[in-house]
Amino acid sequence: MKIALVGNQNSGKTTLFNLLTGTNQKIGNWPGVTIERKVGRIKELGDDLVDLPGIYSLSPYTVEEEISRNFVLEGKPDLIINIVDATSIERSLYLTTQLMELDTKVIIALNMADRLEKKGIHIETEKLSREIGTDVVTISALKGTGIDNLREVIRINKKTHVKSKEIFKSDIENEILKIRNEFKTNRFEAIKILENDKLYQKHQTAIVKNSRQKLEETYKMDIEEIIANLRYDYIVEIKNKSTKIKQVKESMSDKLDKIFLNKFIAFPIFMVIMFLVYYLSVGVVGSFTVDLVAENVEKFGDLIDQGLLNLGASDWSTSLVVDGIIAGVGAVLGFVPQLIILFLCISILETTGYMSRVTFLLDKLFKKFGLSGETLVPFIVGLGCSVPAIMSTRIIKDSKERDLSIMLTPFIPCSAKLPIIAMFTGYFFADNSGLVSASLYFFAIAIILISAIIIKKLFMKNSGTAFISELPEYKLPSIKYVVRDVFDKVKEFIERAGTIILFCSVIIWFLLSFSWKLEYGIKIENSILASIGNLVSWVFYPILGTFSWEAAVSAIQGLVAKEQVISSMSIIAGFTEEIEEGSMLFKSAAFNFFTPVSAYAYMVFNLFSAPCFGAIGAMRRELGSTKKMLKAIAFQTGLAWILASMVFNVGTFIVNL
Amino acid sequence: MKKMILKKGDKGHLSDLKIGQRAKVLGIHMDKPDVRRHLLDMGITRGTEILIKKVAPMGDPVDIELRGYELCIRKEEMKNIDVEIL
Repeated sequence: MKIALVGNQNSGKTTLFNLLTGTNQKIGNWPGVTIERKVGRIKELGDDLVDLPGIYSLSPYTVEEEISRNFVLEGKPDLIINIVDATSIERSLYLTTQLMELDTKVIIALNMADRLEKKGIHIETEKLSREIGTDVVTISALKGTGIDNLREVIRINKKTHVKSKEIFKSDIENEILKIRNEFKTNRFEAIKILENDKLYQKHQTAIVKNSRQKLEETYKMDIEEIIANLRYDYIVEIKNKSTKIKQVKESMSDKLDKIFLNKFIAFPIFMVIMFLVYYLSVGVVGSFTVDLVAENVEKFGDLIDQGLLNLGASDWSTSLVVDGIIAGVGAVLGFVPQLIILFLCISILETTGYMSRVTFLLDKLFKKFGLSGETLVPFIVGLGCSVPAIMSTRIIKDSKERDLSIMLTPFIPCSAKLPIIAMFTGYFFADNSGLVSASLYFFAIAIILISAIIIKKLFMKNSGTAFISELPEYKLPSIKYVVRDVFDKVKEFIERAGTIILFCSVIIWFLLSFSWKLEYGIKIENSILASIGNLVSWVFYPILGTFSWEAAVSAIQGLVAKEQVISSMSIIAGFTEEIEEGSMLFKSAAFNFFTPVSAYAYMVFNLFSAPCFGAIGAMRRELGSTKKMLKAIAFQTGLAWILASMVFNVGTFIVNL
Repeated sequence: MKKMILKKGDKGHLSDLKIGQRAKVLGIHMDKPDVRRHLLDMGITRGTEILIKKVAPMGDPVDIELRGYELCIRKEEMKNIDVEIL
């Protein structure tokens, strides 16, 4: 059986999904979009469970709703489990009424039953079940109760045939019946046709238009309002018959919001929390773990190196294993501890409900740029490392904004770009190095904001989603959920991003270690990469004012890791180790062509161009397709080239005045 | 121009209300069909009772309570919701 799991955001859907499927899950993206797709096998029953995105209705206005709608209509699930938040039952049942208009049986899983008492709500489940016309199973996904019952109800309802119920006034039901007969379709589609839904424009016959006109004249409202009103009237009726509510005083959430949304201390608290996230994931703790992993990978590499040498392996194959593969895998593993810490922080912020407060706080500021408050988190994390920053864009609710954020996050100068900044500004702008370095950060912020505005205007004209978002109650995070969440995300990173990182590292190793004649152990200027650098050096001409394969190769090596730009330059200049002194580098034959202007331009190029393979891999995972990833890289590198060229030409002009 | 505080029985827009005030929805007039649809789906229909609960530190957006849950919405959307003060 193929079963769909549908429900509002914040209804506990993911927790229920995990409880039902255990570790039997496959995670990916819905085709072509940045939205996660989860399919799992229900334990003990063996049926496939598809987790649909959290939605509030099946109207076709957001990507999430479209995906869900397509799945329930065309994917033809055998059963629908509708998870309903018992503490906001009135709003939750709106989606339920729509689901029950399909030809598929719907089972309602009434979740958060454990929180009802605190809110003074009492629901009589049997009455509710009778009134709404289908099975209602009380569960607490957090506590794990009611799941056996739910499984039993699922089992009994295999391939149950349903007849949709009439819930509106008779004049409306008559029109719906007319349309059903005309198009031989189910209740859901008939209502959509009546509502003049944008996906059913071909069905707008004279009969349909007449029906609609008749009703709109009677009720003096447009048809969408009529239907929405009637749905809620029906829901309120059922609710009154099956629910008793006691007046409650101020809830815990209200008390907490007095602090977290307080006019004066809300922002300071937010900054402290953000600083903590940064400190833990990419600051001191994060970089400690990166160094730790790097150290151990090196030790391991040396061991293997010795071992292979003793076995008599050839130079190049040893290098392939140690400098190519182990280094590549080491690069991937290097990110893992940071990602674990970051995902832990984010998971806790999300499940406690604080992240919704962040969006609420920052909305006014960010909406001017077409972004939402959550966008700030990736940017802050990006100051440390782009890889976890890109992965953290998941918290952005709107998928188009998420795409935008993924493309722009690498523009923030990460800590790996600091050696480049330090080296160049230290030598060429010695007296003002602090100021010049800071100018690059401001430049990055300005470009991000301008890009956001322009891209939004050019490509996202219609997706101006107004900010209409539920503010969930504060909840204590479930450790089981958080651990599971972190584990899933890290696993995905290693699988989807890790493969690209490893693959690309090996390729660069190859291009650098071999000449065209496939000789190994050659000097760098004879390598394949150097000749590619030569070909590409004309691209760098407008940035540097001269042809330099050396600068080109160094920039390309920045794809492996941005720190490698400096180490690459050091090696090319003839030194065996990475240089600390700028003067040694810029007085060498290879790089003495640099002027302050071309230095700044080269920095700009490296800061904005395609990020390292780690970040590229993360982009691919978050964007969901290689094609989108390539587009992002093209955008970033193209923009970097334009900006760097502009900087060089304008700068040279000013200097020569 | 001083903003007047609406009293019981007055008609106005949802954006005119202060924290703690309650109102009944009279209708939504808006030329953005997507947004209007979204507001209807979330339960802002005629006769719905709304309470202004919290306001973001910068004055926008606003957190309202309706149908047993809390919804965040911008003042620019609230301007399009006609209400009667309760």
